[in-house]
Amino acid sequence: MRRLALALSLLVFAGACAERPDARAPITLVFKHAHILGSENPIPKLIAEFEARHPGVRVKAEALPWNSDEQRQFFVINLEGGSPGFDVMMLDVIWVPEFARAGWLYDLTPRLLPQELSVFFPSTVEAATQGGRVWAMPWNMNVGMLYYRADLLAKYGFVPPATWNDLVAQAERIRAGERNPRLDGVLWQGKQYEGLVVNVLEHLWADGTDVLGPGGAIFPDAARADFVLGFMRGLLERGVSPPWTTAADEELTRRAFGKGEAVFLRSWPYAYDLLQQADSPVRGRVGIAALPRHRDGERGEGSTGGSHLAVHRGTRHPDLALDLVRALTSERAQRLMVTGAALYPTRMALYHAPDLVQRNPALPEIAALTLAGRPRPVTPYYLAISTLLQPELSAAIVGVKRPARAVADARLALGFVLRGARGDLAAKISAPPSPSAAPR
Amino acid sequence: MTPRTRAARREGLVYLAPALCALGALTVYPALWVIWLSLQERMPIFGIERFEGLRNYLFLAVDPRFWSAARVTIVFTLASVALEVLLGLGVALLLRQQQLGRKLALGLLLLAWALPAVVTAKMFEWLYHPAAGLVNFLLGGRQINWLGDPALALPGLILADVWRTIPFVALLCYARLLGIPAALYEGAEVDGAGRWAIFRFVTVPMLRRILLIAALFRTLDALRAFDLMFVLTRGGPAGTTETLTLYAYRSLFQTLQIGFGSAVGVVVFALVMAVAWAYLAAQRDEDTAG
Repeated sequence: MRRLALALSLLVFAGACAERPDARAPITLVFKHAHILGSENPIPKLIAEFEARHPGVRVKAEALPWNSDEQRQFFVINLEGGSPGFDVMMLDVIWVPEFARAGWLYDLTPRLLPQELSVFFPSTVEAATQGGRVWAMPWNMNVGMLYYRADLLAKYGFVPPATWNDLVAQAERIRAGERNPRLDGVLWQGKQYEGLVVNVLEHLWADGTDVLGPGGAIFPDAARADFVLGFMRGLLERGVSPPWTTAADEELTRRAFGKGEAVFLRSWPYAYDLLQQADSPVRGRVGIAALPRHRDGERGEGSTGGSHLAVHRGTRHPDLALDLVRALTSERAQRLMVTGAALYPTRMALYHAPDLVQRNPALPEIAALTLAGRPRPVTPYYLAISTLLQPELSAAIVGVKRPARAVADARLALGFVLRGARGDLAAKISAPPSPSAAPR
Repeated sequence: MTPRTRAARREGLVYLAPALCALGALTVYPALWVIWLSLQERMPIFGIERFEGLRNYLFLAVDPRFWSAARVTIVFTLASVALEVLLGLGVALLLRQQQLGRKLALGLLLLAWALPAVVTAKMFEWLYHPAAGLVNFLLGGRQINWLGDPALALPGLILADVWRTIPFVALLCYARLLGIPAALYEGAEVDGAGRWAIFRFVTVPMLRRILLIAALFRTLDALRAFDLMFVLTRGGPAGTTETLTLYAYRSLFQTLQIGFGSAVGVVVFALVMAVAWAYLAAQRDEDTAG
């Protein structure tokens, strides 16, 4: 009897392992992703195509909460629990090292061919690489950049500013000349959230320093961090940026710039599509450029971002799940995503595809900015670091703490929380590309 | 102690045992576990788990964010409880005077108390909205950024909490007011007491106990305040509305420091226990004195 039971259970087990879909027991893959906005969500179409190519396989696409903190919390709680009930997940690029380190992601390294990865922006592959293994496929891409009002700059004989001081001077000159009380100088994201950390990082990089130094030191150059935060606070105090910057996120700033209420805007590529829409008041009057640098920096670098697709380590169908990831990151999928949902491709070639460039002439320029961009620190502890930095950075921007105080407090808090992670941090931080690496 | 009382006592213990066991499993065990966690450095997803004694607490002593959260918690508690007790008492006195529509007034009062805190918070989010909010509209169309201004966010939260919990204090006081014998008032009037003297020497002493209980409940709630801040400000701007419980939540669920977050939780627990003990001691003194 017992032998029979054993044989039966083995049979069931074997059946479960074999990935031979048949009509009686259809396989279901669950794909968790954030809401896709835009004129035409390409996901249902792509999934239907995948199902047509894989008879007997059904893909259930389930949307995550709207807010990125809640998305991550959903993943962490379910993955830590062990049997999360999904196979493929869309991850913000900054979560990939953390999730890989926690052992939640399926190691894609043995199954990916080198030429499969070389078509993506190197920085996206780097962001998904942890301990020499690749844990996720790049899905869509973002890079921080400077939008400017080409008409206003031309009117006053300016070219896009190379340094932040130039930017301030241009903004003040244009505002004085225009005499429009609704016209602000530069808009950026100063609310207490990840976006603020990104803005501060870009200013730090623009001044030739970083939030994490070699060896895992926090704010390795405290004096420059102090200067950078003071400069950002100064933008508000001088009136170059409006007081509501302290509550500003991407959409708030994009809408104000889109109404013609600012000379400059720091944002991501998605804004370009919206600013150039037929009913946009600034249509045809917007230019894009690299972010300016500070006095001690060599050049401004935009922070890269975006999302990746990863396979859950415990999935019963790793091959199918990887196939789905490949299908969703394919050239065809990324074409549909950039035209339908303004999600920018991770495949470099698409930025030069004639039909796409005709739709969006800024693509080659965005590709160049992306290549010159820089990932946020690639470490499993990034989320912890960012979360601890946010209140301190916000305090400095709002003006309730002096910048030096905020830097000192952040150093203290991070030093304590990451006391067990020092070795890890030191090992990972050697990676960021040197500023002199020329864009290809 | 006679054998008989001893037996009765033993029997009593047997009857108590199930309740004690349930209490132990549901409160004592988790409390001890949290204290044990607070003595460790623990970040489960990174596999960090080591005992380090009081290190978390030693860091709390020098952690500016902890002291800021403690300050916010205490300011919030003192201001909201004081306002709630005073205004609640006022509402109860008015209710007693009111002849017409008293039932309706009671019903409306209960509404604010019956709303879930998150609903109240969402409502205040709209009231405080800088451009479209009723508060700014009533102030003559000003564009005050209530929840975004570091000087105004905490008062804004206190006001929302006061609005939400006045009914609780008011109902407790009102019930007690109804129970004060009319003879006391009549006697005072015969003795020639004015309205103030009657309030001061009859109403207040009769209400003292219930006010103490109301203040105790409200203080314990306010010390653990979480929901309003979580929905309305998330602790911002710049941490000016971050309470201790919000800090514990952040540490536990956002930076995933189970040990450190537990230490913050233990501090809140100790604070609540100390305040509860102080109130109960005050009440005991009152009982023995009276």
